Amino acid sequence: MLSCREVVIDTDQLLDGELNWRRRLSVKLHLLICHNCRRYVRQLKKLIVAIPYMHRRATDEEVSRVMTRIHSQGKPDS
Amino acid sequence: MNKDELERLKGGDQGLFAELVRDHHRALVALVTPIVGASEAEEVVQNAWLKAYKAIAGFEERAQIRTWLGRIAINEAKMQLRQRKRELLFSDWGHQDQNSDPLASRFAEDGHWQDPPSDWHVDSPDSLLMGEQLANCLERLLTEMPDNQRSILEMRDTSGLPFEEICNELSISASNARVLLHRARTQLYKLVDHYQETGEC
Repeated sequence: MLSCREVVIDTDQLLDGELNWRRRLSVKLHLLICHNCRRYVRQLKKLIVAIPYMHRRATDEEVSRVMTRIHSQGKPDS
Repeated sequence: MNKDELERLKGGDQGLFAELVRDHHRALVALVTPIVGASEAEEVVQNAWLKAYKAIAGFEERAQIRTWLGRIAINEAKMQLRQRKRELLFSDWGHQDQNSDPLASRFAEDGHWQDPPSDWHVDSPDSLLMGEQLANCLERLLTEMPDNQRSILEMRDTSGLPFEEICNELSISASNARVLLHRARTQLYKLVDHYQETGEC
């Protein structure tokens, strides 16, 4: 039986579908009986969904710097 | 962005392009910072925006726009390195010491949880990392994170690049990349877990 620590290490690959079937089965069996690891996996999934939103939106000044440069040098390719 | 807006964006609508800049600029700066360094990241992203604006008509809708922008920014970052005759060299690619796992202290000697994760209360996934105090802690954590871990986190989880492409871009093996991504994610996990449990970080 895998330990919780091994399951936590394998979770990234599990979520990306990259574990081989034997290891995936071992992890799934562990998850059936371990609610702490189930919680870890469930919450890691939420974290991964949230990561793209972790950077704040740019300020007006930052947007304006980019757009000023585009006004002076940018022309869409046709 | 809906289909109509996307068409206008591809037609060169500058108002919509400005909104795109507002939504993604910080993420692109974070993406290239571990590659070119904080002092040059802004300039690299400025160049990337110019390229993106010129090429937006060719954006294919089945791609994620963040991933498309991320690829342009990474190309610009690598071009910058070439112009400065610098190489992409992260230290510590190979370190795989289990004890440096951020969650190591949460396990007992037999490998089972000693200090299990707390139960997170989240309304929607995108709000998980959005509290003002948490955002400040997160910014600090990312700044202090080793460049190699941060780079893979930004490429994989913020920009959505495929794992294989990341390994090619950074010239590292899949097993090293896995270890680094795991460490980066578990550092974030630990921070959020502590915040959820105590309201502080």
